[in-house]
This record gives sequence, C-alpha cells and structure tokens, in this order.
Amino acid sequence: MKTHLVSLKGYILTWLALLALAGLTILIGFANLGQFNILVAVAIAAAQASLLAAVYMHGLFGTTLIRVIAAGGIIWFLFFLTLVLGDYMTRGWVPFPGK
Amino acid sequence: MSEAVSLALREQFATPTQQRETASIGMWIFVVSETMLFGALFVAFAVYRLSHPHAFDIGSGEMELTLGSINTVILICSSFTMALAVYNAESGRQGWLVFFLLLTVLLGCIFLGIKFTEYYDHFLDRKAPSIWFQYHGADAPQVQMFFVFYFILTALHVVHLVVGLLLLLLMVIRSLARTFTPAYHTPILMTGVYWSFVDVIWVFLYAIFYVPGFHIK
Repeated sequence: MKTHLVSLKGYILTWLALLALAGLTILIGFANLGQFNILVAVAIAAAQASLLAAVYMHGLFGTTLIRVIAAGGIIWFLFFLTLVLGDYMTRGWVPFPGK
Repeated sequence: MSEAVSLALREQFATPTQQRETASIGMWIFVVSETMLFGALFVAFAVYRLSHPHAFDIGSGEMELTLGSINTVILICSSFTMALAVYNAESGRQGWLVFFLLLTVLLGCIFLGIKFTEYYDHFLDRKAPSIWFQYHGADAPQVQMFFVFYFILTALHVVHLVVGLLLLLLMVIRSLARTFTPAYHTPILMTGVYWSFVDVIWVFLYAIFYVPGFHIK
C-alpha cells in the first residue's frame, strides 16, 4: 500500500528550491532593472507558487478534476488580468471625438 | 476497517479514499475562490502601478527589506514543517505530527510578530494611510495609494494566516485526541493545502511590495 503522497526527499528538495528562489528574488531586487524588477520578481514568485501548489498542496498528485479546478482558477485570473490591463493600457490609442 | 476509521468515515462515502478526494475537491474550489478574491486586488494594484510607476517605486523604497525577507523565509519554512506534519500523519507517528504542527504554529506566530512590528514602524513613520499619512514629495497622493494597497492586501493576508493558526491549533487538539490514523488524516491534508496557499499569496505580496524598492534603498 502506498503510504505517502510525496516522499521526504521530495519535500526537502522543494523546500531548498523555494529558499533558493527566495534568495534569487532578493538578488534581483538589488539589481536596478527599472520596471523589469517587479516583472522578474513576479515571475520568480509564480515559480515558487507552482512548486507550493504542485508539491506541498499535492496538486500534482490529485485527481484530474482537482487539476481542472486549479487550471480553471489560473486561466480565470489570466483572462481577468489580460482584459483589464488591455483596457487600461490601450486607452488613448484611438482618438475619441470630444475628448 | 478499524473502529477509528469507521468512526471518521461519513455515511455518504464508501471508503476513506473517496472521502479524502471529495474533501480535496471542495478545498481546491475554496482555494480558487480565494484566488479570485486576492486576484481582483492584485489586478487593481497592477492598474495603479502601471499608471504611477515612479510613485509606487518610492512607496516600495519605504518597506522594511530585512523584515520582509525574514518573513518570506519563515513562511517558506512553515510550509515545509506543515508538509512534514502531513508526512508524519500519513506514517501514523502521532508525536512527530503534533511536534511539526506546533512548530508550524510557532513560525506563523513569529511571522505575525514581525508583520505587526512592520505595521508599527510604518505608523511611526507616518505611512499609515489616512490623516496620519505624511510624505513631502511631489507624488504624495500616489505614494499614499501604494500604502493603501499595501495595508489592505497584507492585512487580508494576516486574517488568512490567523485563520490558518486557529485551524492548526484545532488539528493539534484532534491529534492529541488520537483522531488521525494513516488511513484517515484528511483534515491534516486540507489544513496543509490551506497553509501553503497562505504562503503562495505571501510570495506574490513580497514580489510586488518589497522587491521594486530594493535598489532605491
């Protein structure tokens, strides 16, 4: 009978990877990349979140339905972000009569 | 089926595995609904940040880098100890299960202590939005907006963390009552999912509030 969803080694390696990514975030912060600082930091945070969701939240080892639910949440957020930012960033691209 | 497992198994489920999978689905739906709650605030932050990048960098420069970084490491370590609690629940090691649950509670409390120290420092620096806010630069209203987002998002995160701590304490009590076995430990698994989700939110908060101001300091 399979006792553990994730092995002890898997948990330790994930922990070390999360700490390494946190260290990388701090290093990136000290470099002056202009507006790219926050983009790189958010990308690293997304990698950390993926590790947490896959291993510590057992998303990788759940049923297909759980993966569909998780993917639905991520896709909803990306749709939301794209449409809202698409709206705000393109305002003023087309001249409006009377404005 | 042992007596402990049959007592923990609700009548609508055939097996503990079926009960665990159903609970997991419910928990993940809850996590997605929480993503929508925080997601809306993250998107609002992104809109304001794009509109006022310089002012938001100045606001970020006022953050306590050391305290924020220590808190990130503490929360990552607490997710690890929670994972070890799940591991020991699966193995049926009650003593270690209680130990790692209590260690997670301790790390969560340290996080809260540091977070409130930060809040107190911001209050003393007159960076708490409203009538206490003081900034003598050109973009004062926009810098204040940064702090509005900072306090709303981090306070919402703190509320979730406190709920997590209460859940952990409940799990400690139930573990001491020997409720959990290798066949039935679903509440420990679900608490682990919730606690790691709190960590997921924090890594994004750290990235958007603390990191952009590093090089300014």
